Amino acid sequence: MSNNRTSEVTGPTVIAIAQEENSLRAVCLRKQGGVLQVLWTRSSEAGQTDLGTFAAECGLSAGRTGQIEPGGGTMAVVGFNSAGVTFYRILVPAVKEEEIAQMVKLQIEARLPLPAEQIELAWRAGPVRSGSPSRTGSASAQTSNGAGRVQDGRVAVTIAAARREQISKFVEDVRVFEPAKILLDCEGIVEAWREFFAGDEGSRRDGIVVSIGSRNTQVCLVEFGRLSNAVVIDTGMEDFSAGQWLGSQTETAERFAQDMRSVLELFGYAEPGELPVFVLSDGGSVIEGIASCLESAGLNVRVVVPVPPLYAGVREKTELSADDIYEYRVPIGLGLMALEAGAEELNIFERLYNPAGEKEKKHRLYSPKVAGAIAAVMLVAVVIVSYAVDVASPNAIEKRFRAAASDADMNLLMERQKLIKTIAPRRPDLLQLLNEINVTDAAGIMLDSLDFKKGRPISMSGQAPNAEQLYKFQRALLAKKGITEVKIQNTASVKAGASPSPRGQGGPGGGRIKFTITFHYKNFTR
Amino acid sequence: MKIRESMIGRLSEKEQRTVKIGAVCAAAILVFVISTKWFGHWGQVRKLLAAERSKLETISPDEAKQRGLLSVVPVLEIPQIEEKQKFLFRDKFDEQLKKAGIRSEPLEFLSTGKSQQGGYRLLRLKCSGKCRFGQILDLLASLKENPYLVGIEEMRMKCDTKNRQEIQLDLTVSTFVK
Repeated sequence: MSNNRTSEVTGPTVIAIAQEENSLRAVCLRKQGGVLQVLWTRSSEAGQTDLGTFAAECGLSAGRTGQIEPGGGTMAVVGFNSAGVTFYRILVPAVKEEEIAQMVKLQIEARLPLPAEQIELAWRAGPVRSGSPSRTGSASAQTSNGAGRVQDGRVAVTIAAARREQISKFVEDVRVFEPAKILLDCEGIVEAWREFFAGDEGSRRDGIVVSIGSRNTQVCLVEFGRLSNAVVIDTGMEDFSAGQWLGSQTETAERFAQDMRSVLELFGYAEPGELPVFVLSDGGSVIEGIASCLESAGLNVRVVVPVPPLYAGVREKTELSADDIYEYRVPIGLGLMALEAGAEELNIFERLYNPAGEKEKKHRLYSPKVAGAIAAVMLVAVVIVSYAVDVASPNAIEKRFRAAASDADMNLLMERQKLIKTIAPRRPDLLQLLNEINVTDAAGIMLDSLDFKKGRPISMSGQAPNAEQLYKFQRALLAKKGITEVKIQNTASVKAGASPSPRGQGGPGGGRIKFTITFHYKNFTR
Repeated sequence: MKIRESMIGRLSEKEQRTVKIGAVCAAAILVFVISTKWFGHWGQVRKLLAAERSKLETISPDEAKQRGLLSVVPVLEIPQIEEKQKFLFRDKFDEQLKKAGIRSEPLEFLSTGKSQQGGYRLLRLKCSGKCRFGQILDLLASLKENPYLVGIEEMRMKCDTKNRQEIQLDLTVSTFVK
């Protein structure tokens, strides 16, 4: 393990970790005043690939690696090996983002051999590259949609897709130190190339970036300075021994050149020399040899090493060699992406992994203290608004009164209304009462008198043919609205012939019953 | 700022606590005094507002409620002083009696009480006479149109034992006077 620490860090920093073949590499970066500083680098022993252990060795633990805050803090990012990621490149009409998302989903579902629920994907829209390179006739699914073809009103969409199972496992591995971001390592390679290797060529921003590892080679298509496609070739430095290489073209070299041509065709570039191929190099002779082999195969190869001016800027603080920059190119690229505010990375982990920093933000927002403070402010606001409304209302009502009528008219109106309200409950409707009594269903009842006086029950006297009719009359009165407490006060039998009676009616022995009934009518008699 | 910091720095922990508690108490007293005055003023404002709303309610009541009131009191004249009002009321009532065909004995004013209702005293007017039941109904139906009437205070009807068509009516109606 190597360790190259510098002084204590005070500003916002990023610790980036990447897995390269059978080891892990980490760098600690800081950008201050536009100048990038590599504060330290670290690599694990060969064969040690446990991310949790290595992160702990780098000083990372859960809860410490949230988002960068304005005044400082440490953020961790980790690279995901893009060997298991498939890239697609399609052209879609330049429409809204939601509509593009729908189109991407449909396209991917049609192309992938797995069901959609087993796939995680991310996409990024960008301009269509001009220059119109020729397309291969036997292009695969992603190139057949026209990578590099110019079409008006269309945008090129880069899609990265991977198996959910694979991604979930990686998320579980890194959750122990809760990195703020998980990035694709091929994006880190492209970023490192742009910052450290491209030099003047960087202005072209298009090309094939080849990063040769010990056991495999990462080939990235870069358009407009961003990753458009990536493929991993299973040939690395270990396959090119120095002894073999110094001679003429070996079988391995020929196979590698053939693989590269196939990759270029896959990317949509039929002519091998169309696009420059940037081979990242530490300046060693093996990579030079590989490059010359590719060149002799017809590719437009350029060997690139860390560019001196930028490298010098880094060296000021860290005293890193070109070899170190080359060795840590992937984590450095990842770290740079993390430091760039608003970097639009292909985040295939979006649905499966939420960084701890975002959770904390939510907690802070919904904390009882914040809720309490908001409630208190709202309460104070409600009291103030109520007070203001109460203060303003009487004047507003008074103004409306004055606008509606003069003071004299207003007083008259009020007096009149007040009088109506006073008189209405004092005015019994005796006409209605007489009608109610008159329509009661009791045959043979004859009323002799009715006595009404406010404040005492109404009294009625009359004659009934028999007791049943009298009771019926009582029940009928009780059923009337406003009439209550109907009481038969006294009764007396009248001899037949003593008073007129309807024919065929009469009490026992032919006589009638004389009665007095009292009752209450609404509130007037109480 | 520095002077304040140095002054506080010279105090012991207990003294600092005392100063803080004192400051909090002073602030609480200040808040209490201000809020008491403020709430007092608010209370007065609310009373004024309630009066204005009541006034508003008086002149512009609910439509259904107003319709109900007007069905009971369709016409109304603001009461005058007693000397004026009693004649206006008597003449109108006499006219209504005649219109109903009731031959009444001379109408008789009953003494007004001292009690006041809404700033008015109640003056009662009594009439007695013989009539038919239909005439009574006509009179009762037309009484609402008397703009001086407050209500019927008393009504006594009694059939003649010999002629049941004839009814002895004693009616007392009232009006408001200033």
